[in-house]
Amino acid sequence: MSALRLALASKGWEDDTLRFLGHCGLRVDRSNPRQYRARMRGLPTGPADVVFQRASDIFEEVSAGTVDLGITGYDIVAEHRSEEDDVVVVHAELGFRRCALVLAVPEGWVDVTSVSDLADVGAELRSAGRELRVATKYPNLTRQFLFDRGMTHFDLVEVSGAIEAAPALEAADIICDLTSSGVTLRENRLKPIGGGVVVESQACLIGNRRELQADPERLEATRALLELMEAYLRSRQLVSITANIPGNSAEDVAQRVLACGGVAGLRGPTIARVFPSEPADADWFALTVVVGEDILLATVETLRRAGASEISATQVRYVFERRSWTFEALKRQLDAAQDRGRKA
Amino acid sequence: MLGERAVAPLQRVRGTADVLPPDDARLRRLESRLRAGFERFGYQGIQTPILEPLELFLRKSGDEIVARMYAFSHWNRRLCLRPELTASIMRAYIDDLQGQALPLRLHYAGPIFRYERPSRGRSRQFTVVGVELVGASGPAADAEVLHLACAGLEAAGITRYRLVVGHLGATLQLLAHLGMSDHAQGLVLDHMEPIARGRVDLEAAITRVVDLLGGGGAPANGGPTGLPASLASLPPDQATAIAADILSRASLPVEGGARQPRHIIQRLLAKAERPDPTDQVRAAFEFVAELHAAACSPDQLEPVLRPILEKRGLSTAPIQDVTAALDLLRAYAPLPPGVEIEVDLSLARGLRYYTGLVFEIYVDDDEGPLQVCGGGRYDDLVRALGGRESVPACGFSYGLERLDLVTTQGGPPDTTRILVVGVTGEDHEAALSVAADLRRLDDLSVEQDVRLRGVKSALRYADRAGVDLVVIVGERERQEGVVVLRLMRTRHETRIPRADVVAAVRDLSER
Repeated sequence: MSALRLALASKGWEDDTLRFLGHCGLRVDRSNPRQYRARMRGLPTGPADVVFQRASDIFEEVSAGTVDLGITGYDIVAEHRSEEDDVVVVHAELGFRRCALVLAVPEGWVDVTSVSDLADVGAELRSAGRELRVATKYPNLTRQFLFDRGMTHFDLVEVSGAIEAAPALEAADIICDLTSSGVTLRENRLKPIGGGVVVESQACLIGNRRELQADPERLEATRALLELMEAYLRSRQLVSITANIPGNSAEDVAQRVLACGGVAGLRGPTIARVFPSEPADADWFALTVVVGEDILLATVETLRRAGASEISATQVRYVFERRSWTFEALKRQLDAAQDRGRKA
Repeated sequence: MLGERAVAPLQRVRGTADVLPPDDARLRRLESRLRAGFERFGYQGIQTPILEPLELFLRKSGDEIVARMYAFSHWNRRLCLRPELTASIMRAYIDDLQGQALPLRLHYAGPIFRYERPSRGRSRQFTVVGVELVGASGPAADAEVLHLACAGLEAAGITRYRLVVGHLGATLQLLAHLGMSDHAQGLVLDHMEPIARGRVDLEAAITRVVDLLGGGGAPANGGPTGLPASLASLPPDQATAIAADILSRASLPVEGGARQPRHIIQRLLAKAERPDPTDQVRAAFEFVAELHAAACSPDQLEPVLRPILEKRGLSTAPIQDVTAALDLLRAYAPLPPGVEIEVDLSLARGLRYYTGLVFEIYVDDDEGPLQVCGGGRYDDLVRALGGRESVPACGFSYGLERLDLVTTQGGPPDTTRILVVGVTGEDHEAALSVAADLRRLDDLSVEQDVRLRGVKSALRYADRAGVDLVVIVGERERQEGVVVLRLMRTRHETRIPRADVVAAVRDLSER
């Protein structure tokens, strides 16, 4: 019996990650906040071992197989992955810590709005005997992005500390760095350029192919984890509405509701007979439907027009499909890797 | 010492291949046959390092190559594994050979590296074998290179192939006519190949290049309007001063570390005047597509291709170049009847340095056409790489592994394999002297048994390894002054005098 080993990111990531896991019904217990080991409860397969690490180190831990799974930024995975590592992206979009890796230039470069302008500036600096210096912690992604766009005259500069300060400190001319709101860029008098998004990122779940394949118990725990994550992510922005509607029969209610503009829900409304506590002059039915949060009020209006009252709405916590699509995708990846391994 | 535990085997880097026996011998024979052919035309061998400064290929090789390089930084030096050989050889020419009498004829072979999806006959490391003819321009030089390419194929036993000839002159003229910037021209050239091959949609390619060029500046039609146009009518210094004043009044600081505020404003104004590149890019790509659609046999050049160039007011010199080079090619030697020639002026080869005639050769096998060879003229490369003066040059290379795939002269080498065995350790020295005598014969491979586990074990090995002939030396034989010859195929054994063993083996191996 071996417990699933999961690496979570510490520092700025911790609150967001624990909130996300909490929404999935998973609780991380730590004896004290300075401990970097913890247990995660909530999986039917038993508690998982959790280790907290810097987001940038999680890829290496998963790649080396010292943990089975890890939650980190997709940008880090994209920068560090190679064709030959054992890392699989198990769930690419966990829906939090969204950001983008972008090229940004000094605000004062009023003539630069596109990558093509950068190529021109590269040539301009070059004729002055200099190279355009790009500060980044993502050399692989940045180089490939610029090469793919026909830009070859630049130097990548490794900067320790805050990348966005590099141009002001004259350690670099421009930067390629993460931004979510753009505030940090603006504070450092930098602006993103058009077509300069190198990669869009958010938190993702990665796993070690070998470790998952080797242990059916940990694979089963992974399946449970994915079920919860997937069901939670699917349920976000969904509300379940229940309303009481008078009518002659369930069919009659359904027809009236549909005639008022329809309340489709995920599959269609559920209508059931209400047995009133006091005698009433008509039969009453309860209608239940799950809709997107964005159409909550519109749906309430529709139901009112159909004669509904006592309309209640609750946040949906999970939506389970017939099967876990992400787990099946993971299984396919593991099987494909095994086939390749056998061939090689 | 390693413990009991088995150590996991290491695998080769993905996308690379090991060349095992007997493939290695076959590939080396093919390479030396090709290079011997080049030497008969006065070409001399050259070798350059596999490791090169990254910069060498950034200047002129084009996106297709640059984006697929194995590039890395080693102790702050930017390096790469060479993705092609022509730039390396021109670097060597500039380094050491600029004083030599021209034309200079060079031939080479070696591995190159591209990080791309492996395909038939092409791993991420593959071998190129080729020539460069430096310091000669015109169809006579082009024809020599074309002939070498065709002659090498014939030496490899390939007589059915398709030669596709193009000429960058047509497209380069049009781009100059359109007034496109160098950067824009480079992008168009990089996209010619995928467009002509149908790998990208014309509209998608236009959108991408226009996007990379930063989209439209001034409105395409209706002429320039607004501030930039008014400023354009002023002397440049005054225009710059006014623009700087407006920007500072709007509290837009124009400063940029390494960049001069003056340069920033000048570029801003120049950019505003630049027309929307969409029409130019579209015109260029439609021209490329039209050229590709008009690909034809050499005798159709005049009626088919000439009107396309004349319609746009372009010189027809590229057509004359191609015609002259192909006429001269036939004058070297008649081409085999299985050779098909096609002229396709959209051919760009995915490299940015070609300036004139270019060509590729395809050989069909069971799985369809395979490009085994390509080359062309690159008159600006020496200059772009820092040469003292511009030097015309052309060349081509074969992909050795691909050529090997389609060549009919494969098969194992016809060397006779011999194993010399001493019956016991006592006989080993006598056996060594027999082996030494046999090695004086040509076309023999003579192995010596060194495991010394006796005749039975040696014969088992000979059987499995495919040895043709075993020579056995034992104590009794030594005393009698004879050796035993065993023919593995028939298991027939004969005793012959020690003095006659060389003659006997020669007779047997020639049979």
